[in-house]
Amino acid sequence: MMTSSPTHTEAAKTEQIITEFFAKSLHIILESRALSASSRNFSTLSSPSSTSSSSSSSVRPRDKWFNLALRECPTALENADLWRHNNLHPIVVDIVLVHRIMQLDLKVRNPFEEFGVGGSQSEKIVERWVIQYESRKTRDCSNSSSSSSSSTRRSSSTFLQNLYKKATLLIRSLYATVRILPAYKIFKELNSSANVCAFTLAHRVSTFFEPFTSKQESEMLKFVFTPVNTLFGRLCLSVMYCQCVSDVSSESSSTPLSPRVITDYVGSPMTERLMRFPSLPVVPVRLPLHGSPSSLPFSRRHSWSFENGRGSPPSVNYCSPSPTHSELNTLVSNASYQCYPPPSSLPHHPSEMALLHKKNVNFDDYYPSPNFSPSPSPSPSSPIYHLGSLASKTLLRSESAPVNIPNAEVANSPGHTSRHNLPPSTPIRISRCTSETDGSRNLMQLCTPAEKMCSLRKDESQKYSGVKIVPNSSPQISFSRSSSRSYQDDFDDTDFICPFDVDDDDTTDPGSRAESFDPGDMTQLLEAGRFLPIRKSQGAVVGALVNMLKKAAPLHQDFSSTCENISRPETQKSNKVQGPNQIPDTLSAPSIMCSGNRKTTSDALEEFRSYREMKNMLLKPRGGNSNQQI
Amino acid sequence: MNCEVFQLNELEIEHFEIREVLRCILHTIIFHRALGLVRPKDVDLELFDITYVQCGEVEVEMKIEEKIEQFICWVEKHPNKKSQICLSFYEVKNKQASWFSNRIERLYWEQWYINLNVAQHLKSHSSKSHHSKVSDPREEGVLEDRNARSAALEVSLRNVLFQIIKFVNEKKDHVPPIPNLEGAISFPYEITIPSSSDSAFGMDIIKRMLQTGHPTMLS
Repeated sequence: MMTSSPTHTEAAKTEQIITEFFAKSLHIILESRALSASSRNFSTLSSPSSTSSSSSSSVRPRDKWFNLALRECPTALENADLWRHNNLHPIVVDIVLVHRIMQLDLKVRNPFEEFGVGGSQSEKIVERWVIQYESRKTRDCSNSSSSSSSSTRRSSSTFLQNLYKKATLLIRSLYATVRILPAYKIFKELNSSANVCAFTLAHRVSTFFEPFTSKQESEMLKFVFTPVNTLFGRLCLSVMYCQCVSDVSSESSSTPLSPRVITDYVGSPMTERLMRFPSLPVVPVRLPLHGSPSSLPFSRRHSWSFENGRGSPPSVNYCSPSPTHSELNTLVSNASYQCYPPPSSLPHHPSEMALLHKKNVNFDDYYPSPNFSPSPSPSPSSPIYHLGSLASKTLLRSESAPVNIPNAEVANSPGHTSRHNLPPSTPIRISRCTSETDGSRNLMQLCTPAEKMCSLRKDESQKYSGVKIVPNSSPQISFSRSSSRSYQDDFDDTDFICPFDVDDDDTTDPGSRAESFDPGDMTQLLEAGRFLPIRKSQGAVVGALVNMLKKAAPLHQDFSSTCENISRPETQKSNKVQGPNQIPDTLSAPSIMCSGNRKTTSDALEEFRSYREMKNMLLKPRGGNSNQQI
Repeated sequence: MNCEVFQLNELEIEHFEIREVLRCILHTIIFHRALGLVRPKDVDLELFDITYVQCGEVEVEMKIEEKIEQFICWVEKHPNKKSQICLSFYEVKNKQASWFSNRIERLYWEQWYINLNVAQHLKSHSSKSHHSKVSDPREEGVLEDRNARSAALEVSLRNVLFQIIKFVNEKKDHVPPIPNLEGAISFPYEITIPSSSDSAFGMDIIKRMLQTGHPTMLS
């Protein structure tokens, strides 16, 4: 057979082209179909380069294959790694539209957890891609080597060139085709909206396929790309696709987040109460920094954020993914089209502002919500049930934030670096196609990044806050948001027990509010995981005091015991010490609390004043552990 | 080298759709012929639910925009005429200077004809996007017609894009070897629109025939 070394090289080169063709095709397909992969990694890894022209950014070795630079797509890379296989096996990619029946319970937060289990979902294969190398096998191989080897050899280099050219053309066609097919519409819609529910796209990569039933087949159209001939076989690519998916996509776009829901959320009394809290409104600081299109729907919150965030323009954020952004885009699209300058990195036609949102869809960083709904952030877990009908919205909004920073890190985390180790052009490998081909496994792959984020968030949140937050204030925002939210939501339940101090709150709070923006505090809050277990910062202590007042039904006998639960012993102790020493004309805290039963409102006001003084005392000395020193 | 000629299906469009339709088609063709290193750029059309791919070269975009402008001007001067835009790819060969032609010879190896039929009667709506259609509800029926027409055009445009992909797929042999060039654009190209007068357009072709010396290529 292939004894002479030149022929062997040609065969090897052909094989290599085929292998890379498989990988590239898979990448192109998954990049435009796999919800989690494309958008997330576009944002984290290659957003600066992918929209710019070729000259401005570096060229990765993988890009050089077929002269097509693609966005990073870990799903594809993972699969490519798996499927750098015996070229004689086809690669079959099924794109599956999954329709889930939504319930407002835990499943909402982790749609993939339940994947393939319950009967509450229906799947439909909307596309089947088959990438195949049909080898002419030994007969033709021997032919090519036996028949006048000199002429074959002479032409073989041009043949290889020709093969490469044709494969390149085929790849170009594939790239354009995936965007014309109906499934791309679904992908775009799911990617651009904050849909957690109803629909999602999944994919299965395998080396075999179950043939469609005749009914299924009748619904599908087939497009066969013209095969590319090689010396030893031919490279085939075909797709069967469902024509009639537009109804599905429109349904999916209309189901989940109606504009009304969001408006309610922003304008509701509940929001106003949230507004008072220092840590919460900081969140949108990131919005202007991202150049994200709209802030008007949140005018109040944003006015806060502008004031508070003005000092430190972070640069880190530009390369971090922007869940807030995606969240916003959805809102913008739902509420109204706003004319805002497009993000500088995005190539828009300036005259087409009104359609900004639509355009953004492709270039922007989106978190496809279905994949991040499993966000393991602790924040939404408890409060979400208190909020009743607001649950889903809160879920959407609060979950995205904590994902933010860890995700940027995930890209560099050991788990993910493996793909960087892939050689740009890998020699042929031994087949690894085994039982890993089933759908659930692939879906698990989708989940993996989220799980990593989970661990990262739990274990390393402190690290992140330490490392990344200190230089600029914005990354902490997402954390403070998540940590404060649970507090907020807890708080909402008890808010009206003592209405009198609701009024006072606004006058007494500014000090603590200012304090709370101190990055140090945020990290401590973070460390604490929640707002309540206060440790060191004065702001936090004050916060606890205010909280105590909020929580307290001052006319209740057992108030002190409530306090015991809320605040840490040190704080209480310091209160006891400070009370008599520093504020001689008021009673010490515990005694006030315990004698509460017979008090009138004016008593309570006085009581509150004493707390205010106490707070001022606390604020006066500088340094974190001044409480203990006094 | 033979010159492949691709005739794309005729599209019936309105004045305000010219820009998007031409962008979409021209960029899609050029993307398939930009065989250098490409960083593809997805672009969503505004008027239609279609995403097409650009090769991401600023020069290409500028050239296309410029030609579209020229074409729109031409259409305004010549209403209710079917028109043809030709995108040709060629290779440049140096040639002995002769007394009437340049030293440089263009060898055309592929031509794409985009056939448009621009309807003028609804021009009052031009320059408005489909969002503003609702703001001008002169008659319910008109609106419905427009929507139906727009949907039909979307389907036709999609078919033209498929046509391009099919042509690209079926005919690969005539494409010259990929030169080792920097940038995405591997082959020179030109976009020919009808000139200000038809006779001049004819002259253009004759001139080109004289230049290339390969009149057969022009089919």
